[in-house]
Amino acid sequence: MKIIETKNLVKRFNGVYAIDRLSIGIEKGQITGIVGPNGSGKTTLINLLSGVLKIDSGEIVVDGTEKITRILPHQVFFYGITRTFQNVRLFEQMTVLDNILVVITERNIFSSLFEKHIEYHHKIAEEVLQKVGLWKKKNQLAANLSYGQRKLLEIARALAMKAEVYLFDEPFAGLFPEMRKIVSVIVQELKQKNKTVILIEHDIGLIRELCDYIFVMNEGRLLAEGKPESVLERKEIIEAYFGN
Amino acid sequence: MEYLIHLAILFVIYATLGVSLNLVVGYTGLLSVTHAAFYGIGAYTTAIFLTKSGVGFFSSLVSGIVIVVVISFLVGVVLSKFKGDYYALVTFGFNAIIFAVFLNWQNLTNGSLGVPGISRPELFGINFANNFNFLILALIFFVLVYFASRFIVNSSFGRVLKAIREDETAIAVFGYKTLSFKLVVFIISAAMAAVAGSLFASYITFIDPSSFQLTESMFILAIIILGGLGNLRGSILGALFLILLPEILRFVGFSSDIDAQMRQVVYGIILILLMLYRPQGLIGEYKL
Amino acid sequence: MGILPQLILNSIIAGAIYTLVALSFNLIYSTTKFFNLAHGVMAAIGGYAVFYFSKTLGLDIHIAIVLGVILTGFVGFGVDKFIYLQLRKRKASNMVLLVASLGVMTALQAIIAILFSSRFKTLSGNIDTQKIFTILGGVITQTQLVILLSAVLIMAGFVIFLYKTQFGKTVRAISDDEEVARIIGINTNKIIGYIFFIGSAVTGFTGILIGFDVGIEPTMGLSLLLKGVIASIVGGVGNIYGGVLGAFLLGFVENFGIWKISGEWKDAIAFALLIVFLIFRPRGIMNK
Repeated sequence: MKIIETKNLVKRFNGVYAIDRLSIGIEKGQITGIVGPNGSGKTTLINLLSGVLKIDSGEIVVDGTEKITRILPHQVFFYGITRTFQNVRLFEQMTVLDNILVVITERNIFSSLFEKHIEYHHKIAEEVLQKVGLWKKKNQLAANLSYGQRKLLEIARALAMKAEVYLFDEPFAGLFPEMRKIVSVIVQELKQKNKTVILIEHDIGLIRELCDYIFVMNEGRLLAEGKPESVLERKEIIEAYFGN
Repeated sequence: MEYLIHLAILFVIYATLGVSLNLVVGYTGLLSVTHAAFYGIGAYTTAIFLTKSGVGFFSSLVSGIVIVVVISFLVGVVLSKFKGDYYALVTFGFNAIIFAVFLNWQNLTNGSLGVPGISRPELFGINFANNFNFLILALIFFVLVYFASRFIVNSSFGRVLKAIREDETAIAVFGYKTLSFKLVVFIISAAMAAVAGSLFASYITFIDPSSFQLTESMFILAIIILGGLGNLRGSILGALFLILLPEILRFVGFSSDIDAQMRQVVYGIILILLMLYRPQGLIGEYKL
Repeated sequence: MGILPQLILNSIIAGAIYTLVALSFNLIYSTTKFFNLAHGVMAAIGGYAVFYFSKTLGLDIHIAIVLGVILTGFVGFGVDKFIYLQLRKRKASNMVLLVASLGVMTALQAIIAILFSSRFKTLSGNIDTQKIFTILGGVITQTQLVILLSAVLIMAGFVIFLYKTQFGKTVRAISDDEEVARIIGINTNKIIGYIFFIGSAVTGFTGILIGFDVGIEPTMGLSLLLKGVIASIVGGVGNIYGGVLGAFLLGFVENFGIWKISGEWKDAIAFALLIVFLIFRPRGIMNK
C-alpha cells in the first residue's frame, strides 16, 4: 500500500524548476531512499512533503485518500509525518530535554497551559534520549552539543513524535562510525515497527544496506526507481550521479 | 520616607510592565516596541471611567483589561504577518497610532491637556489615598502578574513559546499552530500592561499622552534587556536599576536641569555596552 | 482653488525631505541589513552643528553648512567604526544591532539636549528676509525651493554614484551578498564605513534644510527617520526610484490626510500607510 504519493508535483524558485512534474509512490512500512546529486531537488521534495514549502501545482496523496495541494507546516503532524533537517535545526537556547518535550506536549493552547501528562512525556523523552545516548546530557543547552550529538538529538526528537512517516534528510552526514551505527539501528527498528522511512542519503553503501526501494532524482525529475541493487548498477545512473 | 514609597510604587509598576513584556520579547522572541500603548489604554480607561462615571476602581480596571484584550487581539493578528525588524517597525507604528488617538480624541481624552483628578481607590474600608497602602495594592497586583507569568513560562505552553523564539518553522512542523501561540501570549502580556496602566493612572491622579509615547515603550524594552531576556527576575532587577538610576545620578551630583538628559545618556550607553559585552543582560537566559 | 495648491506644494516639499532620508537610510540598510534607529539623529546633529558654527562661532553660513555636513558624516562613520563594526565582528544578530542603535540614538539625542537645551531653534536669521514665491496660488519659500532642488540633485547624485562608478558597483555587490563580496576580495567593513559617512552626511544636510525651513530640536530625528523608513518600504527597499516614489506618496497622503483633521494625526497616518502596504504589498511599489 502506498502511504504517500506525489502526482505531477511542481515547485519553482524564480522560474527555475526545483521539482518538475514528479510522480512517485512511497510504500508503507519500507525504507525508501531518495538519491541524486546536489541540487537535484531531494530536500525540496522533503520540504514540500512537510509543508515547509508551498506546492506550486500537482498534489500529494496521503494514505491513498487524503489529497493535499496546500499544506501548512503545523498540519503535517496530523498526517503522521515528521522530519529532520539537512542543516540541523534545534531549539538552540533550550535544554536537550526541553528539545524533546516541546514536540510531544499538548498542541491545544488551553491544555498546554494546564498540562496533565507530564510524567508520560518525561518517559518518552527518557526513552528516546537513552536510545541516542544523550540522556546524561539532558540538562545541557542544545547549542553546547557537538555536531554529531546535535544530529542525534534531532533524530531523537523525530522519534519522540511516534509518527507514521519519518523524513530523514541526510541523517548520517558527518557522523562518526559509532553514531552511524546508532542511526542505522534506529532506522531498521522503525521498519520493524511497520513505520515508513524516507531517507535522503549520498552514501551508496548505506543505501544498498538499508533501503528497500530507491528513487533517483536529477534536476527535479525522476531519473529511475527500483530496488537499489538493480538501479545502482545502471550505467546512466552512475554517470548522472558521479559525473564523468 | 514618603519619597521612598513613591519610588517603590514606580518600581512596582515598571516591574509589572517589564515582566509582562518579557513574555513577548524574552520568551517568544518578538521584538515588540508598543507596550506603552497598552499601558496607556489601561491608564486612560481607568482615568476616564473614574472621572466621568460613577464606577469604582476595580470595574474601571476590568474595563481597561477588556478593551486592551480586544485591541491587542486586532494588533496581534496584523503582527502575525511579520518577523524581525519589520515586526519591530510595525509595533512602532501601533504605538504612534495609539498615541495619536490619545492626543486627538479630545472629547474622550482631553487631548494634550490630559485627564486630571483621577481618584484613588477605596476598598473594604481601606483608603488607598495613603501612599503606603497604595504600595501594598500595587504589590499585590505585581505578585499576581509575576506568578501568572511564571506559571505560563514554566508550562508546556511556555516551552512552545521558547521554541518559537528559537525556530518558528521547526516547531510548526511538529504540529504547533505558532500563530495562535504568539497571539495568545501577546494578548496576555498586553492585558498585564493594562493593569500597570490602571495603577499608574490612579496613583499619579493625572495622566496625559506624553507618558505613553514610543520612547516609553523603548524604556520598558531597555528595562528587560538590561535585566535579561527570558528571565522574569531579570525584569525586576532591570526595573529596579533604571528607576534608581536618576537617584544615583543625583547622588553623583548632576544639576537637576540636565538630570533628565543625563539619565538618557547613561541609559543609551548602558544599552550599547550591554549589546557589546553582555547581550543576554544581567541575568538573562536568551541572547537576541 | 482654495487650499488645494498649497496642499500640493506642502506635499511636494514633504516628499522631497522624505526622499533625502529614505535614500540615505536605504543606502545603509541595504548594505548592513539592520535597522539603524540612530540614523535619524544625524539630522539633528547636522542642524545643531550649523547652529553652533554660524550662531555661536559666527562663521559664514555657507562654511557652517559645509562643516556641519562633514561633521555629521564623521559622527556616522565613528558610530559605525566603534560600535556597529565591533558588533558585526562578533557576529551579532540584527536585533542586537537594532537595540545598540536605540542606545546610540538615545545617548546622542540627550547629549545634544545637554549642549544646546531641548528648546526648539531655527537656523534662519530672520523669517522676513526670506523670499517668498507664489505658484498657482500656493506659497513656497526660498528655503523650500532649495530643499526641492537639493532633493533632485542628491537623487541624481545617488543614481550616478550607485550605477556609474566603481565604488557604486562595490556597494551593490555588498547589498546583494556581503559574504560573497568579501570572498571576491572587497573590504566590506571599509566600504560600509564610507557608506555610513555618506548616508549620515546626507541626513545631516537634510536636518540643516529642515532647520532653515521650520527649525530643529534634539528629538527631531526619530520621527524623520521613521518617515524615511516608511517611504523606502512603501516604495520598495533597496530601490532608489522606489524610495523617491514612496517619499512623495507619503508626503501627499500625510498632507491630504490632515486636510480635514488635526495635524497631529500625521504620524498615525504615515504608519497606517506603512501597515497597509506591509500587509497587501510587502515588497513595495517597485519590487516584485
